[in-house]
Amino acid sequence: MDQFDFIVLAVKTLVILVLIIQVVPVMIYLERKIAALIQDRPGPNRVGPLGLLQPVADALKLLMKEDPVPSNVNKFLFQIAPFLAVMPACLSLAALPLGDFFEIGDRKYLLQIADLNVGLLYIFAIGSLGIYGTLFGGWASNNKFSLIGAMRSASQIVSYEIPLALGVTGAVMMYGTLSLREMVFKQSGLLLGVLPNWGVFYQPLGFLVFFVAAFAETNRLPFDLPETEAELVAGFHTEYGSMSFASFFMAEYMAMTTMSAVMTTVYFGGWQIPYLSDEALFSMIGSRNILALIQVAVFFTKVMVFMCIYVWVRWTLPRFRFDQLMKLSWGNLIPIGLINIVLTAIGLYFWDKR
Amino acid sequence: MENFLPVLLLLFFAVCLCIGIYTVSHILGPKNPNASKLSTYECGVEPEGSARVPFKTHFYLVAVLFLLFDVEGVFFIPWAIIYRDSLKEGTDILIAGGLYMALLVLALSYIFRKRLLRLH
Repeated sequence: MDQFDFIVLAVKTLVILVLIIQVVPVMIYLERKIAALIQDRPGPNRVGPLGLLQPVADALKLLMKEDPVPSNVNKFLFQIAPFLAVMPACLSLAALPLGDFFEIGDRKYLLQIADLNVGLLYIFAIGSLGIYGTLFGGWASNNKFSLIGAMRSASQIVSYEIPLALGVTGAVMMYGTLSLREMVFKQSGLLLGVLPNWGVFYQPLGFLVFFVAAFAETNRLPFDLPETEAELVAGFHTEYGSMSFASFFMAEYMAMTTMSAVMTTVYFGGWQIPYLSDEALFSMIGSRNILALIQVAVFFTKVMVFMCIYVWVRWTLPRFRFDQLMKLSWGNLIPIGLINIVLTAIGLYFWDKR
Repeated sequence: MENFLPVLLLLFFAVCLCIGIYTVSHILGPKNPNASKLSTYECGVEPEGSARVPFKTHFYLVAVLFLLFDVEGVFFIPWAIIYRDSLKEGTDILIAGGLYMALLVLALSYIFRKRLLRLH
């Protein structure tokens, strides 16, 4: 690796990070618009055309607000907690493949920050570190609402970590690898000549478990018990204002993006366009770099579909009760995850014997 | 190890981002604190005692169970990776996985039998 490679790597890393952070304002706008659509009202429409500049106005407003540190909090932990939430959210996107590769001269660079051979495990491991931000924030606030919110969040996230891992185990058995990049390659082509060869058609049960657990992991409705407005004010971030609050918000949306990206990659063919192989597309347009751009666009389209499903579910389903939440994880999702592993094991045994 | 160099780079950028957010919001934001602004917000009611109170041991129990099950779940992953390759050499891996799964199911049914997850 020479200097040029290093510079390209640094620029690539920065661009991907900024790209994923940019999903946050887009998502805030979309969330408010879709919420408005569902509730039959116009939504944000004053700032800019169609209210498109609303997220910018929000960000500027949050930046220019006072960030008070209440007098009876644990000051160090209180101030560091939002950043402990953002950092894992940023780090966990290192293993996401946005596309195949791009070329500069005759050198190839992967459209991925790092092709880790433990990709999926890395994302889970780093992603679950985000809970420290929540826990520290809730505890350091010295506020009963925050503490209850943080404790709920902790036990919710740890309970749903297990179905999350069990859900993808079936897919890992099928692909025989943890590298997200290789998983995408294994989903090219067609299944039975009609359907795209996507993981979701082989692993519907595993996908369902993963999908439900992903909602709980990101503290979204119907599992947003850590921040139930009606009973806990705002949960673990009650005492936060200004950008500290925005950091928690950003971390939540980035975690959602990462989860959607993992679902896209593991179950929905990643950057691949159904019925159109990368090579066929390449022979049509004849440039690797344009192909790379198309792949990134396809990847983000799939991710945005999942993000919209997040919003749709949020405004459709009512909230769970806490004991129902725990029962859903331990009593339903974990057994279903285990059954899925058994079914996959038996299925693969017969599939490979053919 | 070279694979993890970009991850370190990303960590560096993430730290820069956090420091950047913190500094910018502290430069731009006004600072005029007063007593009521700095008090604990509990819906306008005077806070009653400290928030550092003991809470239900069930949360601790959930954490312990999580440790057990998460480690067991992670043990499944190396097994899952080699599963298809090993199937070609015989059904040993199927039997091994089955035994391990039986242990897991036993542990899970024990948890339900003892009602360890009854939160109230």
